[in-house]
Amino acid sequence: MKAVTIVGAGPAGLAAAAVLDAHDVPVLLVDEQPRPGGQIFRQPPASFPGAEAAYTAGYGWGRDLVTVPERPGIAFAGSTTALGVLHERVDEGGHGLVAGPAGPRTGPDRLSVVLRGPDGVRSYETAALLVATGAYDMPVPMPGWTLPGVVMAGAAQAMVKSQKMVPPGPIVLSGAHPLLLVAADQLVRSGAEISELVLTRGLPGPREAWAALPAVPGHVAMLAELGASVARLLRAGVRIRTRSTVVGATGADRVQAVQIDRLDPHGQPAGRPRTVDAATLVLGYGFQPSTELARQARCRLHHDAMAGGWVVDHDGTGRTTAPGVYVAGEPTGVAGAEASRAEGVLAALSIVADLGGAVSARQWRDARRGVRAAARFSRVVQELFQVPPALLDALATEETVVCRCELVSAGKLQSTLDRNPQMSTVSAVKLECRAGMGPCQGRYCEASVSRALCAARGRRPDQAGYAAAHLPIKPVPVSDLATLTTDPDAPASGGVR
Amino acid sequence: MSGYRRLDVRRGKPVQVTVDGEQIPAHQGETLAAALLAAGVDEFRRTRTGDPRAPLCHMGTCFECVLTVDGAPLTRACLTPVRDGMVVTREAGQS
Ligand code: FES
Repeated sequence: MKAVTIVGAGPAGLAAAAVLDAHDVPVLLVDEQPRPGGQIFRQPPASFPGAEAAYTAGYGWGRDLVTVPERPGIAFAGSTTALGVLHERVDEGGHGLVAGPAGPRTGPDRLSVVLRGPDGVRSYETAALLVATGAYDMPVPMPGWTLPGVVMAGAAQAMVKSQKMVPPGPIVLSGAHPLLLVAADQLVRSGAEISELVLTRGLPGPREAWAALPAVPGHVAMLAELGASVARLLRAGVRIRTRSTVVGATGADRVQAVQIDRLDPHGQPAGRPRTVDAATLVLGYGFQPSTELARQARCRLHHDAMAGGWVVDHDGTGRTTAPGVYVAGEPTGVAGAEASRAEGVLAALSIVADLGGAVSARQWRDARRGVRAAARFSRVVQELFQVPPALLDALATEETVVCRCELVSAGKLQSTLDRNPQMSTVSAVKLECRAGMGPCQGRYCEASVSRALCAARGRRPDQAGYAAAHLPIKPVPVSDLATLTTDPDAPASGGVR
Repeated sequence: MSGYRRLDVRRGKPVQVTVDGEQIPAHQGETLAAALLAAGVDEFRRTRTGDPRAPLCHMGTCFECVLTVDGAPLTRACLTPVRDGMVVTREAGQS
């Protein structure tokens, strides 16, 4: 039996792998990190003796989940990047025809994933593909955000949790997301020197927390942990500024200071920033779904601002509009680890059923119930910590680099729009001013481009569209692609367990 | 310039990495990005306009940390574990 390929070994991918394995479906689980766990359960290197990932309250289940890839039916390929999906029509003789939907259908479809791992670039035929690629930090361009010393919240956390290193202080954290509180807490407990924690909103008061409680049975420990984090930060003498934001960073060749401003009632900087010394600026405004693989696989997407931007359409149980391609976790909308795990279970049941396996009514019911319960909680958290939408673009000045790879400034983006009044899609803007054409392929600028375009033309994000993703969805040296071969066998474990 | 501080936990065995001809001590299991930051290297590359850049995401998404590692260009330092004898050159004017 051909294996089902899962891209992403976070909560969604791991939960799905466990379900598939329980139904005797072989699994190839792929992740760019050397060890499973995703960003939320990112583990220290296997070569650090005795080092173990930290599982905060409410996430104790992560401890079991990260051991799933050790099961004999699951091949784990760490340090491996999924570069794309090939969808071939096969004729009766078993020969592959063109990739894509063109031509008469004369035989079954053949689905392959192209992987780049320690042993090169290869394409593997797969029974089905589960896209569980997670999310990445929401970029908020501001003056100085390209300076060394500016890092995303997930990056600071990964350094502490996995690499066991703390960034140089004084550290200022700025953003809107609860992860920022958790990251600050971890930094302080590791002895890092935090000078200020700047939040765009107020800390959730007892009244809000009380109102949220009915939606969160089973999640009380998580909310309590958040409260405990805040208490520890205050005890450690960290200044917490609410209804404020960092509006810029300055320094010669690295961050030396940041400017902090209060927000007016409309969520706009009040215009009287004060300057604070900082060697590290940590940004955490939220997350956007990682959908490039799904885009390249020709899944249909829709725009959902509350869920982080472009999300992958599915039938409620993980089936996308592309045959053989399924989705679970943050690519369906940013909703947290719990929701990702629940969606991973449900999508795996869909795959089992579609491959002809037996799924009981009870399994379906339990899985759906899990997804519903997790969604209720994540909505509460999303509403509590939503970043004021007006703020996302308020910070960039004309000179601020919006596309970090191609050095496109907000001013250049605006003048491109002014000079080309007919331009109405993100793709057109990309072709004209190169924003999104660099190595990160628009991951850190597409949303900014879309917002600028929508503001200039009075369009909605779903009208502005998104840039298409092509194979390879992450750049590789051309020489690597030249070695692309088709391999019937699953790759050997690429990472150290 | 003070860099990232290694916490007091047991690490992998010591290795040496050469960065632009200079030896940098590291430990097995550390990412190249982390090892460079701990050695006080702030600047991973320069843009064509001469601006310094360093890791932003530490998860393989932003490509700000790319270096040439053992001859392979465009290698993301945040996803690459150090290896004894690894030879690294920083990229200049890449974008
Ligand atoms: S730091 Fe972002 S890709 Fe390496």
